[in-house]
Amino acid sequence: MTISFSAGLGRITSALTVALMVTALALPARADTVNVAIIGEPDTFDPMMSTKDVVSIVTQHFVETLYTFDGSWSVVPLLAQSLPDISNNGKTYRIALRQGIVFHDGSAMNSADVVASLNRWLTVATRGKGVADKIDEVVATGSHSIEIRMNEAYSPLLSLLAFSNSAAAIYPEEILTGDTIDQVIGTGPYQLVDHVPDQYIQMARFDDYVSRSEPSNGAGGTRTQAPDEIRFLPVPDPNTRVEGLLSGQYHFADGLPTESYGRIDGASGADPVLLRPFGWPIFAINHKAGLLTDLNIRQALQAALPIDDMLFAAFGDENFFVVDAPLYPEGWAWRNNAGVEYYNQNDPTRAAGLLKTANYDDTPLRILTSRQYEFHFKMAEVAKVGLEAAGFAVHMDVVDWATLGQRRNDPALWDIYITHSPFLPEPALTSLYAPTSRLGWKEKEKDDILNNFTTQTDPAARRDLFAQLQQKVFEDVGFIKIGGFNALMGKSSDLDGVAPSPWPFFWNATLN
Amino acid sequence: MTSYLLRRIFGLLVVVLIVLTIAFIIVRLAPGDPAALMLGPEATPEDAVALRAQLGLDRPIFLQYLTFAANAARGDLGDSIFFNQPVLHVLAARAEPTIFLALFSLLIALVIATPIGIYAAYRRGSWLDQISISTAMLAASVPSFWTGLMFQRYFATELGWFHAAGYGGPDATFIERMSYLILPSIVLGIVNSALILRFTRTSMLDILGEDYIRTARSKGMSERRVILRHALKNAAIPIITVIGLTFALLVSGAVVTERVFNIPGMGNLVVSAVLRRDYPVIQGTLIVVATLYVVINLLTDLCYLLIDKRVRY
Repeated sequence: MTISFSAGLGRITSALTVALMVTALALPARADTVNVAIIGEPDTFDPMMSTKDVVSIVTQHFVETLYTFDGSWSVVPLLAQSLPDISNNGKTYRIALRQGIVFHDGSAMNSADVVASLNRWLTVATRGKGVADKIDEVVATGSHSIEIRMNEAYSPLLSLLAFSNSAAAIYPEEILTGDTIDQVIGTGPYQLVDHVPDQYIQMARFDDYVSRSEPSNGAGGTRTQAPDEIRFLPVPDPNTRVEGLLSGQYHFADGLPTESYGRIDGASGADPVLLRPFGWPIFAINHKAGLLTDLNIRQALQAALPIDDMLFAAFGDENFFVVDAPLYPEGWAWRNNAGVEYYNQNDPTRAAGLLKTANYDDTPLRILTSRQYEFHFKMAEVAKVGLEAAGFAVHMDVVDWATLGQRRNDPALWDIYITHSPFLPEPALTSLYAPTSRLGWKEKEKDDILNNFTTQTDPAARRDLFAQLQQKVFEDVGFIKIGGFNALMGKSSDLDGVAPSPWPFFWNATLN
Repeated sequence: MTSYLLRRIFGLLVVVLIVLTIAFIIVRLAPGDPAALMLGPEATPEDAVALRAQLGLDRPIFLQYLTFAANAARGDLGDSIFFNQPVLHVLAARAEPTIFLALFSLLIALVIATPIGIYAAYRRGSWLDQISISTAMLAASVPSFWTGLMFQRYFATELGWFHAAGYGGPDATFIERMSYLILPSIVLGIVNSALILRFTRTSMLDILGEDYIRTARSKGMSERRVILRHALKNAAIPIITVIGLTFALLVSGAVVTERVFNIPGMGNLVVSAVLRRDYPVIQGTLIVVATLYVVINLLTDLCYLLIDKRVRY
């Protein structure tokens, strides 16, 4: 009895293994399907409701906005016919809509859909709510034209309308009946076919899509709908994304560990995609409560930080970071050198003097950070050493990201929290400068500059104002930019037509 | 027998009630806010408060518990905050990969461990015995994530023999989906074979020293019949116990292996749910796992009846 059971087990296992191996090796690859490994499951398919990058990456394929960004991060029209006609006082935006645009449910887009969508965006979206008090009304002025009427000029509005993150997405009016949308319906080049949580998000080409006719440029221009299908595969473990890419299972993999660069570079079927620069690590400072409400202590913090050591510890290889003071990297219109002398001082003596002036009493400086992003933690560890050398007492509060997300909303619990952001096309897209943000950075002169910056419409004047704003960031230590860092992604050698971006898109991707 | 079964079922209900309560309390004692996570980094504290209210997380804890317990009694474990689906639906979707991964792993572990364990006991002190003990120690000592990563790298990425990760796309057939489980099953099979091997060997050693084995041999019975018919049958109860426990562990989710191979099973789900603070999914998973443990233990106990006629309940 036992012999036959044991032998049977062996036979079953052998047969099963052989059968499955044969099947595994014989699986055909769909040449017209692009498989994209992303860092996790998107929290929602409604991009109005989240500011997470992974939500933007996925949803931009089936939901569109009035405007978008081209390859040089300039605003270009998408569902709007052209850039808006803005009144001389900057308070009225007249927007003509493209005709013949069809939603995935077959209905045609008109001004009623756009007005309803923008009104919802102003009510529920984080970025929409941030501008809602400046907008009197959004009205339809024809079947395919709308007006946005404002009570004060707000120059970042177009960038907000173009951004895929907390996006001013355009939906059919009929689905906007409650707080949430049961089934997201957009106008994008791909439509959602199937979604198995934590397994795949399947999108198929939308046959009735009407592309713009201009040449493709960034997210603007023609969207060729080259792949029949795009499948987003949530793969939370970065090493698994690397192995899946190298084994040929994924055509594109987002958010890869920097240590894997050499392996991908040396592989025959895959290439590294380095997004240089991707973004900036930030020490967000609590201006509402605690130690850092004192300017001298903030300046001591800024003076003490060993920035280059922190970046080296965090990223390990100079290929992946840059010690760079300005708030925007080389090549961006916003780049300037105002206040850069305050960056990377690494001067414990000066810091100690400032602490003495502030009558610092050894109250611990609380750094809230997480190991979910290992580079945050490594930066904090090195910062702690530098700060202690200058005379700070430092308390590290190392928690998981969910806890950090909760604690940073309570100013009583932290002095610094560590975060990061991609470089955004428009400075006002980040809340860091705003007095109403969770940092609570209020300073009259800065607030006046910020107000002028957001109401000024002349690009050259805006650049000058941003330089003044950057000066204040350094002088008043509103927050601390630690440096710049690059992001590593990877693609199959067969994949073309995907530009490196914090929010990569695949409608122009081709597989050889 | 009937009263035994009734007692065990009552015990199961008590365990589920305790787990339900502890799970509810623990997940809420843990810091972290699902609303803040869902909204993303630029969301304001006010946005998070509004979403918490929308999700019902601003209600008094005791009221939340009463609602949860009452719904659970009706078989409703609530809706996942993150997936916006019933928890039972979310868990059911994870059942197939987890159950088949557990079955394949257990089969592989048994095929490795049982014959080697028996032979090692039979040839106690031999080179094969020494090697099997050392190998079992090694397999048990090496973390499964390391074994998983190494197997994934060499057998999937370098040699291309297996899928590196995942569980197939929308058009994958059942057999294709199963093919994604081969490599993780081998990893788990090797890791779990160590314990079963050691138990088999030890149990067989105890039995081989018994008088009735000597008697069987003195009667001229073949060694094969002595070992497999008399010794193994009597050594089976502890072996079945450890197999049952191993299976229960595997069914409740091979957390690390599922993560490494990106298998959308219970283990992967529970890790994601904890990171996302998806309270209903965490609670639901714990209740289902506790139930599975008790049921598998009950089935293991009932197996004793088949093995040993002297066992009575």
